[in-house]
Amino acid sequence: MSPYFFYFFAVILILASAAVVWARNPLYNVLALVVAIFSLSCLFVLLEAFFVGMILLLVYAGAVLVFFLFVVMCLNLNTIALDQAQQTRFRLWGIAVGLMFVASFGLATKSFIKAQTMDPSSIRGTIETIGKILFTDYLLPFELTSLLLLIAIFGIVSLAQGALSTGKGAENP
Amino acid sequence: MITLGNYLALSGIIFSLGLVGVMTSRNVLKVLLSLELLLAASNLSFVAFSKFNGDYAGQLIVFFVILVAAAEVAIGLAIIVVMYRRLSTIQADELRTMKW
Repeated sequence: MSPYFFYFFAVILILASAAVVWARNPLYNVLALVVAIFSLSCLFVLLEAFFVGMILLLVYAGAVLVFFLFVVMCLNLNTIALDQAQQTRFRLWGIAVGLMFVASFGLATKSFIKAQTMDPSSIRGTIETIGKILFTDYLLPFELTSLLLLIAIFGIVSLAQGALSTGKGAENP
Repeated sequence: MITLGNYLALSGIIFSLGLVGVMTSRNVLKVLLSLELLLAASNLSFVAFSKFNGDYAGQLIVFFVILVAAAEVAIGLAIIVVMYRRLSTIQADELRTMKW
């Protein structure tokens, strides 16, 4: 049962990622990333990492990508900006480097013999087990992330404030 | 039987797609989206290693990576909005100055 699910979600993930990179419309890029994140979280559930899968779905598909959509719509890109946005650079070099990475990842995975023979362990990343570890061994990093988010909020507020004040200055110099 | 190798191969493919996106697109929004693909690929291999090694640390690292990615996306999008207001373009090549 499980192998079919793995291949199903893997194919969806690869197709959606390709759409993120190559779709023309910025809106379609963002929506393709929603699909990719959804199938990624399905793969996490197949790996029995339930908590991380749900967090990925909530934080990414729920918050981050809605934020992306909001910005894409809020920017209200005109046609010139959209045409410019479709241009790509270093196309050949980029694809060559990408293929090189695929080849080297393939070689590394193949030569990593242990990867083919290792059996999955019986750990289950439920909220209970992850929460216990998060609030005992990883308490300090967990608290520090709140500081990181606070600094991010300060950064965004200062950026928005600077944009507002100079926007006024540009109108009446 | 799905082995660790399958998950690592999938993660490698997704990482390479994201890398192509970061390298080739001029649109700053698309660069940020491709960056999310890179993070997603590394998350997948973290969770796969965690499952096959029987260690919860991989899943905790994924939790922190998601938090850091959320902060990074918020700042990145704020910069893009400011950039579009100033330069009325979202081309990465137009960003030539460090300070304005």
